[in-house]
Amino acid sequence: MPARKDLKKILLIGSGPIVIGQACEFDYSGTQAVKALKEDGYEVILVNPNPATVMTTPGIADRIYMEPLSVPYLEEIISRERPDAILPTIGGQTGLNLSLDLYDAGILDKYNVEVIGASIDAIRLAEDRGKFKEVIQKIGLDVPRSVVAKTIRDAVELKKEVGLPLVIRPSYTLGGRGGSIAYTEAEFEILVEKALSESPVKEALIEESLIGWKEFEMEVIRDPADNAVIVCSIENVDPMGVHTGDSITVAPIQSLSDREYQEMRNASLDILRAIGIDCGGSNVQFAVKPDTGRMIVIEMNPRVSRSSALASKATGFPIARCSAQLAVGYTLDEIVNEITGETVSAFEPALDYVAVKIPRFELEKFPTSYAQLGTQMKSVGEALALGRTFNEALNKAVRSVEIGKEGLTALPADITDEKLELMLTTLHPLRIYAIYTVLLREGEAAIDELYEKTNYDKWFLYNIAEIARIENKLKTRPLSTKLLMDAKQNGFSDKRISAITGMGIDEIEKEREERGITPSYHFVDTCAGEFKAATPYFYSTFGEIDEGKKTEGDAVIILASGPNRIGQGLEFDTGCTLASIAYRNEGVKSIMVNSNPETVSTDFNVSDRLYIEPLVFEDVKNIIKKEGIKDVVVQLGGQTPLNMAEELHKWGVNIVGTQVDAINTAEDRGLFAALMNKLELRQPDNRTATSFDQIETCAEDMGYPVLLRPSFVLGGRSMFIAYSKEELNIFLKNGIEVSKEKPILVDQFLEDAFEYDIDALCDGKNVYIAGIMQHIEAAGIHSGDSACVFPAYKSTDKVIKEMTEATVRIAREIGVVGFLNIQYAVKNNELYIIEVNPRASRTVPFLSKASGINLIQSAVRIWRGKDLKTQGLTKEKADFITDDDCFIGVGRPQTGWAVKEAVFSNDRFSDYDPVLGPEMKSTGEVIGTGATFGEAFAKAQDSAGGVLPTEGKAFVSVHKNDREAILPIVKELQTLGFQIAATRGTANFLFDHGIFAEVILKIHEGRPNVIDHIKSGKFALLINTPLGRFAEIGDNAIRIEAVKRKLTYTTTTSAAHAATRAIRYLKKKEVIVRPLIDVLGDFK
Amino acid sequence: MQEHCYLVLDDGNIFQGYSFGALPPRTHELEEFGIKRKGAGEVVFNTGMSGYHEILTDPSYTGQIVTMTYPHAGNYGSDNSWSEIGPEKGRNLPGIKLAGMVVKKLYRGPVPEGRMTLDRFMRDNDTPGITGIDTRRLTLHIRDNGSPKGLIVRPSDSSSTVLTEADLEAVKRFIKTIPDMEGQNLIKEVGSEQQEIINPEGKIKMAVVDCGIKANIIRELTARGCRVLLFPGTASSDEILKSGPDGILIANGPGDPAVLEKQIEMIKNLIGEKPLFGICLGHQLISQALGGKTYKMKFGHHGLNHPVRDMRTGRVFVTSQNHGFAVDTDTLPSNVEARFINANDKSQEGIVCDDLNILTAQFHPEAAPGPVDSSWIFDDFVEYAAKNKD
Ligand SMILES: Nc1ncnc2c1ncn2[C@@H]1O[C@H](COP(=O)(O)OP(=O)(O)O)[C@@H](O)[C@H]1O
Ligand SMILES: Nc1ncnc2c1ncn2[C@@H]1O[C@H](COP(=O)(O)OP(=O)(O)O)[C@@H](O)[C@H]1O
Ligand SMILES: [Mg+2]
Ligand SMILES: [Mg+2]
Repeated sequence: MPARKDLKKILLIGSGPIVIGQACEFDYSGTQAVKALKEDGYEVILVNPNPATVMTTPGIADRIYMEPLSVPYLEEIISRERPDAILPTIGGQTGLNLSLDLYDAGILDKYNVEVIGASIDAIRLAEDRGKFKEVIQKIGLDVPRSVVAKTIRDAVELKKEVGLPLVIRPSYTLGGRGGSIAYTEAEFEILVEKALSESPVKEALIEESLIGWKEFEMEVIRDPADNAVIVCSIENVDPMGVHTGDSITVAPIQSLSDREYQEMRNASLDILRAIGIDCGGSNVQFAVKPDTGRMIVIEMNPRVSRSSALASKATGFPIARCSAQLAVGYTLDEIVNEITGETVSAFEPALDYVAVKIPRFELEKFPTSYAQLGTQMKSVGEALALGRTFNEALNKAVRSVEIGKEGLTALPADITDEKLELMLTTLHPLRIYAIYTVLLREGEAAIDELYEKTNYDKWFLYNIAEIARIENKLKTRPLSTKLLMDAKQNGFSDKRISAITGMGIDEIEKEREERGITPSYHFVDTCAGEFKAATPYFYSTFGEIDEGKKTEGDAVIILASGPNRIGQGLEFDTGCTLASIAYRNEGVKSIMVNSNPETVSTDFNVSDRLYIEPLVFEDVKNIIKKEGIKDVVVQLGGQTPLNMAEELHKWGVNIVGTQVDAINTAEDRGLFAALMNKLELRQPDNRTATSFDQIETCAEDMGYPVLLRPSFVLGGRSMFIAYSKEELNIFLKNGIEVSKEKPILVDQFLEDAFEYDIDALCDGKNVYIAGIMQHIEAAGIHSGDSACVFPAYKSTDKVIKEMTEATVRIAREIGVVGFLNIQYAVKNNELYIIEVNPRASRTVPFLSKASGINLIQSAVRIWRGKDLKTQGLTKEKADFITDDDCFIGVGRPQTGWAVKEAVFSNDRFSDYDPVLGPEMKSTGEVIGTGATFGEAFAKAQDSAGGVLPTEGKAFVSVHKNDREAILPIVKELQTLGFQIAATRGTANFLFDHGIFAEVILKIHEGRPNVIDHIKSGKFALLINTPLGRFAEIGDNAIRIEAVKRKLTYTTTTSAAHAATRAIRYLKKKEVIVRPLIDVLGDFK
Repeated sequence: MQEHCYLVLDDGNIFQGYSFGALPPRTHELEEFGIKRKGAGEVVFNTGMSGYHEILTDPSYTGQIVTMTYPHAGNYGSDNSWSEIGPEKGRNLPGIKLAGMVVKKLYRGPVPEGRMTLDRFMRDNDTPGITGIDTRRLTLHIRDNGSPKGLIVRPSDSSSTVLTEADLEAVKRFIKTIPDMEGQNLIKEVGSEQQEIINPEGKIKMAVVDCGIKANIIRELTARGCRVLLFPGTASSDEILKSGPDGILIANGPGDPAVLEKQIEMIKNLIGEKPLFGICLGHQLISQALGGKTYKMKFGHHGLNHPVRDMRTGRVFVTSQNHGFAVDTDTLPSNVEARFINANDKSQEGIVCDDLNILTAQFHPEAAPGPVDSSWIFDDFVEYAAKNKD
């Protein structure tokens, strides 16, 4: 059937902010769906408050609302737009749940909105673990023994029957949140209770443990005519027990015989039919007992998912795009496979390569949870690598994930046997490296034992042993051509071979090239070579035919940002994607390099060419060599490409825009300090220490508090504020290395200062300040974690003027051509420069959307020789630049105010203190826009999931220094109808100023104390400012409890102030929605 | 021990790799070796990502060297119970019919208990394989130029790993003697020699003409309550009809369908007498008996992912395929309907003729390996046959 004509307008709900378990894969799938629907002539309305996304770029959808994903806002949008249909299956769990809510609230019926893509009944059936199991059993498939528990008692019943361990999983949560495995009697009831409380419907599935079984996934797609295909099969290298999102996975399935595979395939199709998914992609998960082959169904997701994004990239089959097309009535055989251009989508992709995905963890940022993985997802990103063999792909994937490993490597030699044993026998995130360590020592003989310990399939172990064997050969034998070829075909980088053999990298490269061992590139063609590929999507291998010709004509290579991590995520991919589009609009061919399968930039039709390759110098260099292209963009992919700039430049690449020495001026401490001096700008006092003693002397010299950090990091890893010598010593004892090679930077810490963020564009001469953003949290809380307000909400003209001038001078002096990001701090009305980043920052997409200017496109135009003045962005002549004609411009928010709020995935990590500091911890962000600050802030909070209370009791406990500042806020809360409770000191102070507050006991003052009250639900709002001390005992218990209860809490007075203004707005009970405006109309 | 060996194509392309399975001949052994037809044949590729064992044992691959496009092979071992060679009894030539297997990377590690390695299985069944070559290059070559003839071979000198000029001369000479697939009658090399009854308790009598039948076709029939009367490919129509079948299935087999005049003539006598079904070669033979013509495809369909549209229902299903020849629909009489069409290249995939009770499939509804989405066609076969029971 062709596309439905009775539908004109379709509503899509995005997945909101990035959190663990729901990341940019939904931007990818959503963007694909929007594009597909628009191509078919539908009008598409999109709702997503995540400004970092590609999908919210004006012009992608017909109308974009960056409003909270909640029923009232959606109702308002629906009543305004009157869509004919809603497509709930592309916005992740959030989009699915919100669609169910809208249905339950009767809104879809009221406004006559049809649900397309999956029926409400089917969604319910798939999502309700209990009902799902019934259906599965009815069609003759096996499920784990289990009980759907509403109470602890239900769970105990099953335990009597099955025994421990038991797997505990709450219903309707994302990425397995709140799930766990109970091994001991002691923890069993605690874990069950936690799961029950996490579940929005207060129910959890308690289940027989299948730990150690093989785990598989099938990506299935079915159309309204009941045609169904498996797009991709995935095998988890890490067996059951580790969430698939945290497992190393490989496509296609490796260890199943055809019979076993067909059985699983049939089961997947039967499940789709039984559940009633009839127009879109779904994901079905299985466990298989290794010895008996018993197959058990784990779950299905009736929507596109992280795995479907992975599958799309691994196979070239665009699942989300097809799903959208099926939802409007097409059948699979009517959809052309765009990769070949001549086949249809009713086929199953055949791979002639292996795809390996490795998750990226940021567990060092969440210290309490380091030890073990489990049924709850904890990784924040992933890298995909393709290779002709598993080993090649595996080593490339390890390299791609950018954790400082060049490939599989042994753990440090000093690791104890106990530690190694522990890593093998628990679900440790470094387990595969422990396995490798053993295989390197003992060879294939260790396979049986390793199998007993890890349950990694022997096929995987044998292959990994082969990598170890090659490493051992490299160590001991001369580098013969065969050995070198073996190593390269098994994914060893030159750098890795160099580290093993002790030969120089250049030497190895030379040897290699002399012997004709150079990379060759193959098409990802969906059909294993059976048909010619029309879409140039490549991966590299060694010793084979090279299929790609050089790109002809004017072309540029864009280096993207690799796996998502905290501090470098979706924002950067959006930048790269938009740049690719902008270049193509300018008639320049774009070549994208990325290793992150979750992204839009790795969609096969975004760029003229796509390489799924590790973003490391060697692999990038090979691509450049092959393409023969000189121009490389490093400014948009975050720190990953920027860190490569110098090497690339030295090797002869033309870095587009800001040159390498300019980059160094900003990145190198010494050079930067000299620049500041020259421009007479102030930095916080800062020194470099190369020994422990020196650190102390520095600190004593400049006075506490001090901020300690290593150089060249993004996201502020292992930054620490020391308020005293004692604290300094604690930090230094924590496994910190200091040496000449690894110096530590010691900065004067500006306490209680305002922080500002500025993004600017410079063409070398004129400067466009895209926006001045002021943080709500004080300096000391990472800019990525702080709420930030555009424009500055509490500032003086003097400061704004100073910042504007400083930005212009710095940009010109450094020689920026393209993007520049500066963080300022203002203390006692004095301006300090905290940091200058000579690249596009995290806030570029936020500012682009808030101000209605496509900043990325402007940058590309600068790079194509069109200055800012010609672009119409800089109209005013800068009077403070006297020696030259310099024009400047400053961006403004379209609606009046825009607030960016950070979103955390803290609740993934039990008992984790959510207090913020100079290290970034947030995983995502949302935007709130409005005519008033209150409106914008209220919406940002709502979108971030922290709905502000409009009544109840506010608990106030503030540091002495904050008391004066908190007074008007508390008064305001009172006028807004809140009752006030406070700890003794705060209460006394308030009483002195005419406010009566109920006195609440601190933790050590007796019972019931503040924690008890929080638990009993007494408070609606918490204001707790532990100023000066970021880890005070007692305070952190409050915060932990607040996170558990999902209570609104603020830790600074400015945040409390912002909250009250938002509450005032909320009291008006208005729901105002504003579609995004495209000012210049230059978003395409 | 990994022995160097080579795959040499008739167009002069040479691929160097390592041997697995049975050792391929040395160049000086070629003459004597030639009769066995192992290691020499038409080179095709199969895009299935699993099922190497079934492919290996499929009699339709007689005289063909199969390149697996999926790089890893042997991952889960081999198991005799998966073999597609057909019934144990009544075979004139047991073992693997396929001439050789080409893979990118053979797995040589431990396999699940009770199974043997692929290497071992091929060695036991006297079939050579070559691993460690660029199968992508080979596949693209076949795609662009059609299926070449090729030979898996070792140098004459056992102490050498390279093919000398003399070796190459011998190889070239030998390759010239490999007959073209077009025009080849391979039926005598496969299939039963005598009549046989399988599942005697079955209620529906299905006569099956075995030109190299896959075991799973028989399994599918017996699972549906058929009493299978297996006839050799050389059986006469009288013999078959005399057995009083409810339906007759002409099964799959190797070689060029156009030269099987005897079988085509025989089938002409069956048309209209009893419901007639065909799979793969069977489909091609029935089509020819109806007056149609077959042609050789450039590189054929060999894989597990081919979409086929049923023109009667509009449904599309994923099928397992293995054929190098196809039927030209335009040559068929007008009462014959091209019921199945390949959704990718639009080639014909099966016919139906209601007046004559004929239903055929070019694809493999019995799968093995591959998806079983089209196994309903066996239901139709059996239903047709049951309806015609007297
Ligand atoms: N019964 C079980 N025993 C052991 N591990 C399990 C069991 N059920 C699920 N798991 C593990 O937990 C992970 C998450 O479970 P799943 O049902 O897929 O939830 P989610 O919705 O989070 O994906 C799985 O990938 C699997 O590794
Ligand atoms: N001297 C300082 N005084 C107060 N806060 C600081 C100082 N230096 C850095 N910070 C805080 O630490 C955060 C991270 O520091 P920054 O230099 O921007 O590192 P990153 O590279 O991680 O962005 C800043 O956003 C700011 O809040
Ligand atoms: Mg899952
Ligand atoms: Mg910063």
